[in-house]
Amino acid sequence: MSWLEKLPLKKKLTLVILLTCSVVLLLACGVLAVYQSFDFRRTLVRDSTVLADVIGKNTRAALAFQDENSAQQALLTLQSEPNVSAACLYDAQGNQFANYVQSGINVPLPSHPSTDGHVFESGHLGLFHAVILNDKRIGTIYLQTDLKRMDERLRVFAGVGLLVLLGSLVVAILLATPLQKPISGPILGLAETVRTIAERRDYNVRIPIQGGNETGLLTDAFNKLLAGIEERDKALRGEITERKNAEGKVQSQLARLELLHTITRSISERLDLQSIFQVVIRTLEDNLPLDLICICLYDPNANVLTVKGVGTSVVALEKELGLTREAQIPIDENGLSQCVRGRLVYESNVTQVKFPFPQRLAGAGLRSFVAAPLLVESKVFGALIAARKESESFSSGECEFLKQLSGHVALAAHQAQLYEALQQAYDDLRQTQQAVMQQERLKALGQMASGIAHDINNAISPVALYTESLLEKEPNLSARAKDYLNTIQHAIEDVSHTVARMREFYRQREQQLTLTPVNLNQMIQQVIDLSRARWSDMPQQRGIFIKVETDLDPALPQVSGVESEIREALVNLVFNAVDAMPNGGTLTLRTKISEKAVRLALVEVSDTGIGMEEDVRKRCLEPFFTTKGERGTGLGLAMVYGTVRRHNADIEIESAPGKGTTLRIIFPVPATPAAVPGKDTAPFIVPSRLRILVVDDDPLLIKSLRDTLETDGHVIVTAGGGQDGIHAFRTAFESKEPFAVVITDLGMPYVDGRQVASAIKGISPSTPIIMLTGWGQRLVAEGDIPPHVNQVLNKPPKLRELREALAQCVASTRS
Amino acid sequence: MAMPLKKSITCWLCILMLAMQTGSARAQSREYQVKAAFLFNFAQFVDWPAVTFADTNSPFCIGILGNDPFGQALDETVQGETIDNHKIIIKRSQTLDDLKDCQMIFVSQSEKGHITKILSDLDSKPILTVSEIEGFAQHGGGIDFYLAGTKVRFEINPGVAHSDGLKISAQLLSLGKIVQSAREDK
Repeated sequence: MSWLEKLPLKKKLTLVILLTCSVVLLLACGVLAVYQSFDFRRTLVRDSTVLADVIGKNTRAALAFQDENSAQQALLTLQSEPNVSAACLYDAQGNQFANYVQSGINVPLPSHPSTDGHVFESGHLGLFHAVILNDKRIGTIYLQTDLKRMDERLRVFAGVGLLVLLGSLVVAILLATPLQKPISGPILGLAETVRTIAERRDYNVRIPIQGGNETGLLTDAFNKLLAGIEERDKALRGEITERKNAEGKVQSQLARLELLHTITRSISERLDLQSIFQVVIRTLEDNLPLDLICICLYDPNANVLTVKGVGTSVVALEKELGLTREAQIPIDENGLSQCVRGRLVYESNVTQVKFPFPQRLAGAGLRSFVAAPLLVESKVFGALIAARKESESFSSGECEFLKQLSGHVALAAHQAQLYEALQQAYDDLRQTQQAVMQQERLKALGQMASGIAHDINNAISPVALYTESLLEKEPNLSARAKDYLNTIQHAIEDVSHTVARMREFYRQREQQLTLTPVNLNQMIQQVIDLSRARWSDMPQQRGIFIKVETDLDPALPQVSGVESEIREALVNLVFNAVDAMPNGGTLTLRTKISEKAVRLALVEVSDTGIGMEEDVRKRCLEPFFTTKGERGTGLGLAMVYGTVRRHNADIEIESAPGKGTTLRIIFPVPATPAAVPGKDTAPFIVPSRLRILVVDDDPLLIKSLRDTLETDGHVIVTAGGGQDGIHAFRTAFESKEPFAVVITDLGMPYVDGRQVASAIKGISPSTPIIMLTGWGQRLVAEGDIPPHVNQVLNKPPKLRELREALAQCVASTRS
Repeated sequence: MAMPLKKSITCWLCILMLAMQTGSARAQSREYQVKAAFLFNFAQFVDWPAVTFADTNSPFCIGILGNDPFGQALDETVQGETIDNHKIIIKRSQTLDDLKDCQMIFVSQSEKGHITKILSDLDSKPILTVSEIEGFAQHGGGIDFYLAGTKVRFEINPGVAHSDGLKISAQLLSLGKIVQSAREDK
């Protein structure tokens, strides 16, 4: 039946109608035929029965009266009935009484009657019927009816039926076509609509309502279904659109995250602020359509933002905006103030904001901007400003992105700052460490030097004393001897100075400067003399010639200062100048007066040497900065600078590579010249015949002191150690021959000068004590003048100083 | 086993003769049996006017005038039979008066000489007269038997019957020989 299922609905319907019609008609015809046949037979039986009855009635008299002829005559009347092919009459006993056979037919007649009733035999109907007379059976009539006629009638009927069937079919075909339309039409319409919908996916289509029957209901239901589908389709589309939007958002969010990641990664690799800002700006410009991007740092004191980085796009807008690097943006009341308070500011349309900065942006054709604060530990230190020419152009996602980015940037910037600070601190620490190391080294060196100085001082003390004493007291000295002694004295002084300079390595400067008037012109001469070895002798050994010139202003006023320090500074400058001229050149020492607002005395040391680079020039005053490698300590100019600062002076350095260097020390000129202490001139009475105890562990020194002091007329008792000294003093004190003055060395084994001093003061508090020490200057410098000591004298002692000290001691004792 | 032929023929002849004798007697008896049946049949093919019965329970009376030739045959024939729900009785009498309430009267051969008188007595009365007297119908009787060969046949005078108020069935009429009454010829 698959072919039937594949048949189009129209044909199927037609076929169904035709089949139904045909079957029904055939059925009807069949039933009719059967009925007809049945009816015909019944009619035949009835007719035959009636005929038999009539014949019976007509023949019963003949039968009753046994008149065969009459019976035969009566049967002959059947000739008028062509259907009756034969008839036979039997008497009560069942014997044939009369019979009739249609001419031309040869049929056997039953010899005896059967029971009443009819029987259809081949081609005919046999009927036995009783002949009744006065309620009494007197015989039987047999009728044989031919069925040919019935068959004929049936054939005719079948033919007519067939014709009717064919006619009906034709009519059915004619009727079926229009009749199936109301059924197939809507369904086909439905199918067509469904096909259209399925093809075009247009759920907007509706099938016109067909009426109130099932098709109508179907259509209605289908329309409802469509409406439902359309609704769901719409909802689905809506959902899809929503999803797509969401997906787009997620995509852009991802892109931004990626961007954020990229930026974060690249800025985390950088440690200086400017490069971080540049990376952020460049990446943002490349990846976000921005018309303006800049990063500013915030100065909370001035309440301004300083532009530290701008995008390239700013160049086009520069005229209108003026947002170049280092440009300053004042904080607006509303716009940027929120930002510097730590909030993200988004202005969707700057034309509507009447504040200077938004108006400035609006003037440049920008319409919307975002200012994201750079926040670290809830402190704003800058802002990231992005702007676009379209209003309402920043999505919340972008705002959030900028906010997060600014957080990262802030963190990175903060880290960079921290790193810088750390680096600075580290550098400082390293420098400090180096300085400390240097100082430690110097300290050790100084201690060593101090020991050496002490020993030298001790060693040369007798030389100095004897030389001075000889020159002073020996009247018969030849001129030659005098000259030698003078030379010895100078040499001793030089040694003393050298030792003193050695001390400079370690000694701390006096806190309170003892300022004296200094004649700089004189000092320059001294400096030239002192440094002669360096600028003259040593270069000449290498075949180099350095010319020294002086250009001194004779009107130069005296300045107030510490002579030795200034001299030392100048010597340092000369040394540097010489070092700067490895191939020789001219060294010029110059003094002049600057008459500006205040009077200034200038000392210049110029060379024609190699000069300095700018960065060297900037750093040359730092301690331990040296260009001389291992030869230099890096302390020379630092010391100079220290000296200059202590004298309230200034230093200027003019230098260029290959052009030589000029160092200028500018001293303020005091209004009144400092009083020259009358050291040399102060008259003092040299006491004589004093009883003096000299305590020292150095027998040479004791001897020289005894000799010189005894020459002055004093009585000298010596002790070779601290304990001996104390003992001698006590013995003398107890024997009523006390000493007027005690001169003691400081450094002695077992009992040192301090103990000696305290012990003597314990015995005789009024006895003045002069301490003579190779450490003398150091004691003074450290403020470590031991108690009980009245005077401290440095070794090598000068006779004059010794006498002065004695005079002062005696004077104070007397007073 | 040979039986003597002569003896056997003799034996068969004796049986034949006996049979013939008996046959003759039986033939006569059969004739009356037929006639008795015919009598009964006539009653069935003739309608009598209702007045001939005193009431509905009145029997149908067959009278036999003169000597009864039927013997038991008639009685046997009508035994248990009815005519239009009337029981059938048979009256035998020598006098006509005894039979005047009968519906049918068989005039015996013995009354051959009294036919005229009998018929005139019964004139206009609804009584069917039947006789085996030759010419009885022509003489004004209703029906008479005659023998055609071995077969019993009858003559009917429908006019007599009709004038007496009887209705004779056309079938009966078609079977019988129709004769006209002599009197009516007059």
